[in-house]
Amino acid sequence: MSKFRVNVKASPLLGAALSALLISASAVGIGHAGDLPEGFAKGELAPAPPADMIEAGKRVYFTKCVWCHGVDGAGDGPGADRLWPRPRNFNQGTFKIRHTASGELPLFNYNEKTPGSGKNDLFDTVTHGLPGSAMPPWEGILTEEQRIQVLSFVTTQLVKDRKFTDKQSETQTILQLGTIKPAEATEDSVKKGAQLIVDKKCIECHGVEGRGDGNAFNLKDDWGFSIQPANWHKCWNFRGSRQDPYNVRNIFRTFSTGVNGTPMPSFADSTSVEDRWNIANFVNSLCERDEEGKPLGIDPLTDKPKINFVVPSAPVEGEISNDPENEMWKKQGRRYVAMGGQITHKPRNFVNRIDDIWVKSLYNEKSVVYLIQWDDRTKSIAEGKLPWAPTQVNVENFGVKEQAPKTGEEGSIASAQNNYAVYNDAIAFQFPIKWQEIPAPFKPRYLFGDAKFNADILKWEADGSLRSFKGTGWDQDFEERDDFEEKVKLLKSEWKDGRWTVMISRPLKGNKDDYDEYTRFDIGKYIPMVFFAWDGHNGDAGRKMAVSAFYYTILQPPIPQEVYIYPAVIAVGVVFLEGWMLTRRANKKKGKVL
Amino acid sequence: MKALMSVGALVGVLGLLMLIGMIFGVVPSNTVRLVEGYMPMQVLSELAVFVAGFTGLSYLANSMGMAFPRFWQGVLFWTFVQMYLKFRIYPPIPFSVRAMYGVVSFVAVFMWVSANEEDWKKFRQPILNVLDANTGFHKALRTMYLILVPLLIGGFSFVTMKPSVDEPIELRTVHPAPPASTKVHGKTYTLQTSQNPYRVNLEGKYDQAYSNKLIVEQGMGRLMAPNANPWDEKAEGYLKYVREGGEIFFQNCHFCHGDNLNGRGLHAFAFNPIPANFTDPGTIAQLQETFIFWRVAKGGIGLPNEGFPWASVMPPWEQHLTTDEIWKVILFEYWHTGYYPRTWD
Repeated sequence: MSKFRVNVKASPLLGAALSALLISASAVGIGHAGDLPEGFAKGELAPAPPADMIEAGKRVYFTKCVWCHGVDGAGDGPGADRLWPRPRNFNQGTFKIRHTASGELPLFNYNEKTPGSGKNDLFDTVTHGLPGSAMPPWEGILTEEQRIQVLSFVTTQLVKDRKFTDKQSETQTILQLGTIKPAEATEDSVKKGAQLIVDKKCIECHGVEGRGDGNAFNLKDDWGFSIQPANWHKCWNFRGSRQDPYNVRNIFRTFSTGVNGTPMPSFADSTSVEDRWNIANFVNSLCERDEEGKPLGIDPLTDKPKINFVVPSAPVEGEISNDPENEMWKKQGRRYVAMGGQITHKPRNFVNRIDDIWVKSLYNEKSVVYLIQWDDRTKSIAEGKLPWAPTQVNVENFGVKEQAPKTGEEGSIASAQNNYAVYNDAIAFQFPIKWQEIPAPFKPRYLFGDAKFNADILKWEADGSLRSFKGTGWDQDFEERDDFEEKVKLLKSEWKDGRWTVMISRPLKGNKDDYDEYTRFDIGKYIPMVFFAWDGHNGDAGRKMAVSAFYYTILQPPIPQEVYIYPAVIAVGVVFLEGWMLTRRANKKKGKVL
Repeated sequence: MKALMSVGALVGVLGLLMLIGMIFGVVPSNTVRLVEGYMPMQVLSELAVFVAGFTGLSYLANSMGMAFPRFWQGVLFWTFVQMYLKFRIYPPIPFSVRAMYGVVSFVAVFMWVSANEEDWKKFRQPILNVLDANTGFHKALRTMYLILVPLLIGGFSFVTMKPSVDEPIELRTVHPAPPASTKVHGKTYTLQTSQNPYRVNLEGKYDQAYSNKLIVEQGMGRLMAPNANPWDEKAEGYLKYVREGGEIFFQNCHFCHGDNLNGRGLHAFAFNPIPANFTDPGTIAQLQETFIFWRVAKGGIGLPNEGFPWASVMPPWEQHLTTDEIWKVILFEYWHTGYYPRTWD
């Protein structure tokens, strides 16, 4: 029980406010409190913020926050109905990311302004935002003072059912994260963690591989809105990641304190600190990493993995394997392709449940193959035949509608989740036809091309179909191309433990050598490429989908010989130049200036 | 003097340690945040602090009798500038631009070390020493250079010649020239003469001076002016329209342009070109309100080719909003960022 020690000594010289803080860390504490879960210590309630701070916070709130969280803080602002997760309803005092025991109010102290101190949960939430939701990080936008002010307003005026300063009803049992030594992420620890997530039944919700695909349909939060378990492979979307997604401490904290208002309980009572570290280490080890096992580079402007807009295709001899575990596939690096909702034309997709896909590509003398993998918590195949033809793009008349702007909670997008008609999961990508005639940077429009420059579209659907289309504009129905369809091949399509793996092969060119009808792949050329993804359980169909930016695919040419010859020639030239310089210098010193 | 220089030296050492930390990824490069809109000034003042630090360092070294040779001062300073540009500045500067800065700073360093005959002699002395190789050490050094230089140049040309799959650089015009007029929902608007019908004073007259008094205050946070709360139940006229515009913004636009209008909305990470940052003084603050009206109404697809209409996911908002709603959103965007629309005169 006494694995941790609190080394804080109260000093009479410190101001009253500061000592109040310290007491919260040192009082009772020292690890022998009978019924506290391991790693926790009793703390004191923080003092109430002064009235002028609350008043100042009101001004911040009504400039920045009211738009989503609403006038009364009920999470019903003008933006709320099109958001999922819905903005927090402050009234009940239920907050997700805390250092306090399950069910308790989070830490908030108006005197504590150090981000990441672990002593001010709400301040950290406002500072770093909640990734994966619409709540942005406010650091650099609001000053520390302003962030504290607005929290003073929210905690005293908008949290209505509970009181942060009420000693009768509130307690603070604080996870001593600052003083608990993390267990190294050794192989042994990760292995133990892997067993523990089975024993502790984590996999019931989070899925066997941790992609959040376990109990994805039946989970609801305290307000009755559908929510989904976290996908451990995308740590940058963890709400509690604090803009530091690969930091195992965040996982340890969430696991120890639970997520209030959701079915995620605290495991502190039933799990020793050591086991909690083992689990945290295992969960952290699942987050996507690069080929060398290092954390992905995170773009500080977006808090998502950094994007490279080129999808290279490597040459191979002979047949291309349809097994992603084959050596030729394993050797080839994968690319992260970010997906956003299609929010340009109706029906807009405000909530896209597929927010990234991973792409690899190989080619041989006949075809180019794309291996696309993406996480989707639900395998969706439409029941019966879809009421529209596969070529139809405008499917609004069949009930595929965008969310209305103002509906109230009942009709909001958060309520609609998991209640949509189920269509096919699908993936598609497009290339320009005749890109050879379009000077860069011109391209056919990202959304199915345009009338002048057509797009060559390949679309796979979860019912097993793989179709080739010609796109002539965002609102124009596709033209199906049966003759080409015989040549494209679905090498693999499999949904397993929350992830789709789809491998699609297409010929490098059409029948003839021309490129009027089908995209012809020329080696070493940048060919624009756009990806589209549909999640059938999100009611995605037609233009209600996820879409990427323009990427480039390039068939990497084998390295030509000149690349080896010229540098050698240059190096020899430099040697001659050196000789000339030295001779000249020597002559000059001897007085034989030329 | 000495005390002053010591302080300078201390600053220099601290700054260098931080930069080295950033290079090796020990110190996150956002430790000292670059604040949007103030970045150029911040970078310039940081560089000035560094220069002061270096002056202090070299002065101290001098007075302790460990003078730093002029040659190495030049080389190290140039390296420092390169490292600073590469590791400190975010978003990263492309190599081609850094190469340009490299040449400029090389010329500057060269001018500095060759400012007078004596300095120039001091500068080139180490080079000549190596060339002449009068001592054993210099001889070894010269041999090393003779072997290393061809190898490096050969290697460099190999790396440049090897086919690479870097992202092609494509330059997009963010604010292309607008048309003279635009037709939205059947009505033609001449950009030079149109006005936002909601930018009105309490008498209902177009009045930019009136609305300018009610926008949010500039400075960190950009909070609403006291007594100008659009959410006040009694708010009417301009402020009421601001609230209505904000409602539309947070039902439609924030997904990309972000809750603080800084272009970092939910979907922004996936798109390229990235959504405009309205809090940046280079966007709506530089533009007329009618220009924004045209851009909003016609969206990405309505851009001229230099604006990359094929890549922009900006909706043509005439498909989603009424003309009145578009004007109100624009009103809100200026209110929330605390900028004035530019006028035609």
